[in-house]
Amino acid sequence: MNVAADTGSPSGSSRLTAALRSEYLVLFLCAGLFGGLAPFTPGLASTDNFLGLFGNLAPLLLVALGQTLVLIVGGIDLSVTSIIALTSVVGALVMNRDTGWLAGSGAAAPVAIGVMLVLGGLIGAGNGLAVTKLRMPAFMVTLTALMFFSGLAIWLTQSKNIGNLPTAFTELGSRPALALPLAALIAGLVHLLLERSLYGRWLRACGFNARTAHVSGVPVEAVVIATYVASGVLAAAASVLYTGRLETGSPVLGQRILLDVIGATVLGGTSLFGGKGRVSWTFFGVLFLSLLDNALNLLGLSHFTIMMVKGGVILLAALLDTARTRWFNA
Amino acid sequence: MNHTRQRHLLPLLNHATLILFALVLAGFGLLSPKFLTAANLSHLLVQASSTAVIGVGVTFVLLTAGVDLSIGSIMFVAAAVAGKLALGGAPLAVTLPAILGVGMVFGALNALLVTRLGILAFIATLGSLYVGRGFGLWLTQTRAMNLPDSFLTLGTVRLVGVPLPLVISGGVVAVAHIVLTRTPFGRQIYAVGNHLAAARKAGLNTRRLLATVYIFSGLCAAIGGILSLAQLGAVSPTFGTNREFTAIAAAVLGGTSLFGGRGGVFPGTVLGAVLIQSVENGLVILNADPYLYPLVTAGIIFLAVLIDSTRSRLMAHWGQRKIFV
Amino acid sequence: MSPLLQFESVGKAFLGVDVLKAVSFGVAPGRIVGLVGENGAGKSTLMNLLGGNLRPDTGSMQFQGAPYAPRDSRDARRAGIGFVHQELNLFTNLDLAENLFLSDFPTRGGLIRRRELHRRASALLQRVGLGLPTTTVVSRLSTGERQLLEVARALSFDARLLILDEPTTSLSVPERERLFALVRQLRAEGRSLIYISHTLGDVLDLADELVVLRDGAVVGQGPACQFSSDRLVALMVGRELKQLFPQRQRPRLPNSAECLAAPAGLPLLEVRGLGQPGVVQDISFTLHRGEVLGVSGLMGAGRTELARILFGLDPHAAGTMTLAGPPLTGPPRERIRRGLALLTESRRDDGLCLEASVADNLALVTVGRHARSPLGLLRFAGLRAALGKVRAAVRLQPRLTDEQAVQTLSGGNQQKVVLAKWLLAEPQVLLLDEPTRGIDVGAKFEIYQLIHQLADRGAGVVVISSELEELTGLCDRILVMNRGRITGEFSRDNFDSARILQAALPT
Repeated sequence: MNVAADTGSPSGSSRLTAALRSEYLVLFLCAGLFGGLAPFTPGLASTDNFLGLFGNLAPLLLVALGQTLVLIVGGIDLSVTSIIALTSVVGALVMNRDTGWLAGSGAAAPVAIGVMLVLGGLIGAGNGLAVTKLRMPAFMVTLTALMFFSGLAIWLTQSKNIGNLPTAFTELGSRPALALPLAALIAGLVHLLLERSLYGRWLRACGFNARTAHVSGVPVEAVVIATYVASGVLAAAASVLYTGRLETGSPVLGQRILLDVIGATVLGGTSLFGGKGRVSWTFFGVLFLSLLDNALNLLGLSHFTIMMVKGGVILLAALLDTARTRWFNA
Repeated sequence: MNHTRQRHLLPLLNHATLILFALVLAGFGLLSPKFLTAANLSHLLVQASSTAVIGVGVTFVLLTAGVDLSIGSIMFVAAAVAGKLALGGAPLAVTLPAILGVGMVFGALNALLVTRLGILAFIATLGSLYVGRGFGLWLTQTRAMNLPDSFLTLGTVRLVGVPLPLVISGGVVAVAHIVLTRTPFGRQIYAVGNHLAAARKAGLNTRRLLATVYIFSGLCAAIGGILSLAQLGAVSPTFGTNREFTAIAAAVLGGTSLFGGRGGVFPGTVLGAVLIQSVENGLVILNADPYLYPLVTAGIIFLAVLIDSTRSRLMAHWGQRKIFV
Repeated sequence: MSPLLQFESVGKAFLGVDVLKAVSFGVAPGRIVGLVGENGAGKSTLMNLLGGNLRPDTGSMQFQGAPYAPRDSRDARRAGIGFVHQELNLFTNLDLAENLFLSDFPTRGGLIRRRELHRRASALLQRVGLGLPTTTVVSRLSTGERQLLEVARALSFDARLLILDEPTTSLSVPERERLFALVRQLRAEGRSLIYISHTLGDVLDLADELVVLRDGAVVGQGPACQFSSDRLVALMVGRELKQLFPQRQRPRLPNSAECLAAPAGLPLLEVRGLGQPGVVQDISFTLHRGEVLGVSGLMGAGRTELARILFGLDPHAAGTMTLAGPPLTGPPRERIRRGLALLTESRRDDGLCLEASVADNLALVTVGRHARSPLGLLRFAGLRAALGKVRAAVRLQPRLTDEQAVQTLSGGNQQKVVLAKWLLAEPQVLLLDEPTRGIDVGAKFEIYQLIHQLADRGAGVVVISSELEELTGLCDRILVMNRGRITGEFSRDNFDSARILQAALPT
């Protein structure tokens, strides 16, 4: 029964099937989307627009990378947007120039960033502990975390924004020259971690089959907890960029991007069943969704049309993915 | 010694949601005399009816090891269509069937994506979440719509002394319960959720089965939309947002597994829905800071899920095959 | 007598490779046909054609004298062909009656007639000799009981032809006897059966006729009395296998005093008074360097559980374990570091990451040796060299690439990957739980050779197996377990199958 599969890949693949099978499929789709829309979309190809596009993309990429790690380990993290909101608010409470705990101090911005990252990591650790030590389903754990921490962010601020943040902080998020290299650096680090480190090997093994990993001496619980911590820290890092761009700490920051995060990650090719995923895939997925968003905005389409198109495109990409796994792995 | 501990602990854990529910009732009852009055309890049930109905729909989907994230969007579209028709002067007799039709069409779309095109339920319903929300916003032009009073009476009218929303939700629950426990279709749903490939080999038409489940979930979402609408009297652009999560939470609180094949609507999902609603209702009566509601609700759901997984863990531990006694 | 089922030069190819080449044979009414062949010989493909999961490229099938071309499993069922698959297709969340009548419940007005359902179910269960209440949930059944339930399910639609695919792999001796009696009874009723198994003794015992497949073609066919076990093996592998078990190079280690002097005979793993309530009790034994120690016993005697406790996967309440002196404690990770390895009973469940590549599976245990810290970068050169060496050691076919997903490999190659994974860790003690389950004769032989090589190098090997012949062929000493205790110990010079079996049977 396995004899057929043992012989390896089939022969004679045309260029189209090669493209379909390629892990760069989503990148090709991005190029197609851009090429197809650029002639009709004023300003799509302009430098300013690119800077804006990548400025939008950078924080989304960071969150999606965290999600990628969690999906690879076979979990899911719905709490990322609440982490973005809560860290945004707490960071602003630490550093705003009116009533902040460190108002006026030169250390306000760095301390606030530190606090935000640690807070993100702590929430991630809580998720990880509940999933491993208490054996709770990740979907429910992170769903309740989402409800709880976004509620907490709103309660802390009584649903008000906190403005007047130090310039040192807002520059980080609003100046593409700072934000983009930073995001690229982090993405590079995650890539190395995933592809070339022991942790990356362990991560995939846990995602493919946690029992096999455990029998093979992989510290499964530690790996899973570390992964949720990483997701929390990356969400907090995204929050630093988002908050900086907005120049306010907002308790509803990121509320709308949860589905974009998961959609982009899965679109890129990361499996919801664990084990499979790459930084480059997620980058392509994020690029695709951001490009789509950007082009549709430039076309002057309304908010609701954009939503419908986005939904349709997610479905189309999923369809394409199903088609290629069905044709080539059946 | 272990056995006595098991005997005491297991019933407690098995009825965790029920016990939690009793504690919540008792707690709010002690804190406020208004909470445990017949009027408030009936009001509470009416409030919970919408969640119960959408919870029933998603329970069917969860039993097959699927998920439906588009419920909130379907509720919104159904409400938007209802608003349009009602404001255009259409009578309830036209509006109500139209809404149910909308729900089933959306459900059928999900079914098509999942069963015919083979897209993961999570992604498929995520996509229709976007499409549905966008479509609803287009219908309403992102403006809030106030509905004629005829809709509000739907929420207050009584049938033999029972509020209409309770009659509707009770009917849905009763039908769903009988279907799940007493009909071939219901038992086959459990089989599909337990082992899809085996169900196919056993000669079941698994595609049709799954399709029915998603259509039913869409229908329930539409009914839930009407019930919500009857209480709110208006369709805002955020109507129904995140309600899919409430529905899933109600189902899981009621003991339905996210991995398929285990659970049920009665008492399960109904109890989960009422529990979630009583917390909210109790906090309102206590005049608590409204911003605290989601925190408390999240805490209670977390607790219930924690108890459930502790139960499964202990059951697995105790259930370990004994070779000799 | 015209055959009930006839294959007429049936052919099937996957991706250009012929899996079945013009296969022709018939199954007469009231006969049991034994179908044997190595993994990948085409048995499963043939059965998939019969079950409607695949369609033949060439040739045709006839059933009850009419052309038979099923489009799906429902067609097969309607025609009267029932399957009892190797992987059971039961619903563990439903009760016995529901499992039996899932696709045709008796109903009235759309509702299930429960009393009628349970009446019919208990009648069926009685026929297969399964005396359980029909409301029992399947998750509570043992593997043997589930097997019988599968047979009952095939009888529920009055199947004329039953296919049993490796039905005895996880059955205890009494359960197996019960199944065989049932098979014979079904034959007496005039039904036909196709019996597929690697356990040649069973096939020879049961079947009226035999069909041997090799590389997708029928290489032997005829009444069972014309075949012996040796001839079957020769036909299956395509060459004369002189022996089923390799000759050990070095002299066997006796249990006399002289070998204590030799470093090879030193005690390695010492277990004293190991116990866990309800699982194992008072387990004491010593494994020596260079020794291959067999553990025999029925299903559920506590052998797998013992291995899991030794490896730190399950807790124990009493007793001690020491490895080369110091006590053995901690989680598997700790014990692997001390030189312990466990090849688990089920490759799929906890032996492999099926979707991961061959290389990733091979490296899983030892990849940490090629990195300074979990977050540090891996040194790939060393890793690749180690993989290459171990691939050669277990003779993994060169045409299998490192990047290939393990799930595309045959059972024998998959097992070699698991073994190679542990060899890389250079273990002192290997615990092998059913190391040759479901793999073909050729691969078995190679795994036996590897076990001997390891022992010759001074490692201690514990082999848990349900095949007594395997243990007597392979081991220096055999322990017998029964209901969580060690009830017998036999050294090589007094291996006696009858006495070993005696010790394994419940008293």
